[in-house]
Amino acid sequence: MKREIVLRVNGREETLQIDDADTLLEVLRDGLKLWSVRESCGVGACGTCTVLMDGNPVSSCFLLAARAAGREITTLEGLGDGNELHPIQEAFVAERALQCAYCTPGFVLSVKALLDENPNPSDDETREYLSGNLCRCAGYADILRAVRSAQRRRRTPAKT
Amino acid sequence: MTIRSFDLLQPRSLQEAVELLQKYGDESRPIAGGTTLVILMKQRALHYKYLVDLQSIPGLSQIAHESDGVLIGALVTHRMVETSPLIRQAFPALAEAFSHIGNVRVRQTASVGGNLAHADYRLDPPPALLVLNAELNIFGPEGSRVIPLQNFFQGMYETALTPGEILVGVKVPFTPADSRAVYLRYSALSANDWPCLGVAGFLSKADGRCKDLRIALGGMAATPVSVDGLEFANDQPLDQPVIDKILELVERQIAPFSDLRGSEWYKRRMAQLFVKKAIERLNGEAA
Repeated sequence: MKREIVLRVNGREETLQIDDADTLLEVLRDGLKLWSVRESCGVGACGTCTVLMDGNPVSSCFLLAARAAGREITTLEGLGDGNELHPIQEAFVAERALQCAYCTPGFVLSVKALLDENPNPSDDETREYLSGNLCRCAGYADILRAVRSAQRRRRTPAKT
Repeated sequence: MTIRSFDLLQPRSLQEAVELLQKYGDESRPIAGGTTLVILMKQRALHYKYLVDLQSIPGLSQIAHESDGVLIGALVTHRMVETSPLIRQAFPALAEAFSHIGNVRVRQTASVGGNLAHADYRLDPPPALLVLNAELNIFGPEGSRVIPLQNFFQGMYETALTPGEILVGVKVPFTPADSRAVYLRYSALSANDWPCLGVAGFLSKADGRCKDLRIALGGMAATPVSVDGLEFANDQPLDQPVIDKILELVERQIAPFSDLRGSEWYKRRMAQLFVKKAIERLNGEAA
């Protein structure tokens, strides 16, 4: 069945024509050309398709777009303003927490959700929270450092 | 891979949902959190012409404090159970069981009712809910009925739900103050994987002796196993001879099969080890 849905994506209201069988990932990529949202495992295990729905991390690869109607979606494109990077992105750059960067958007969004919920996670809490995001370049130690750095950056009140 | 076309039907009431399921029969399926179901449809292992969306029905996503227990709506997510102050305080073992499923995104999406109705043999919540004597609220063409979780699992991916019936909630009765429950999971592959086995235990003691002991295992047969015959331990201290007899009952009642999480031999060994561990935890810490 075809239907029209309204999604709030990165702060903008989007009216979209979708099919009931479309996943949120397909709508974000094919409809809105948000290329940071990536499909890899296709079963919610790897985290490359992570987006935030009402602030919580979800796997857009198995979420039906029709069921996201009316919700607030944040992709990586919604974090920076086009000129300045978000503090978490800055932390990833500073700590060189990326190599091929395929997994990076998912990691950055997961870290945002983690720090929004728990501003000062222990390393173990971070490891547990991020255990569903896979980096096949195996940059985990750098990513953990980036999370610590992002925690510090967030504590300085300049920006959120 | 894209999903084959289907219609998502969004009823506003349980009554309407049941009518849709009756009208479309085998061509329809209720969708709760939509984790496993959507993935299986994506992989084209399953296809339904109609999905009946339970998320559009109000009132199914609450955790409610009732006089004799906690009622968990079928659409409550794993993450809500894991983080609920009420559940963590009243049933810490249950919060524990829900906190290790998949990853945080899966737990954000997957629902309590969907998990049970899927009836996979190696899920974490069933053993924990079994030892807590959980009951299920079911709504269907004949109205409402309540059944013990104990009678729900009929076989691999088979439940006591009849056509047109919907699981609407899980009732977990409060436990006595002198009791304790534990849930232990052992994962043979990655931490995010299904468990090789899960063991839940419940113990209530009086004067250092066992009053009520319950043990359930997941991943050890086609359905979760509630160990029968544990009443023998009542009024006895949980010492080595009693523990040996419990382990013997477990060994006889499980029927694990070899898969990539371990051979049958290995799983039987792990069951012994983890049941022993669970009893030690219950015995050491119970009031």
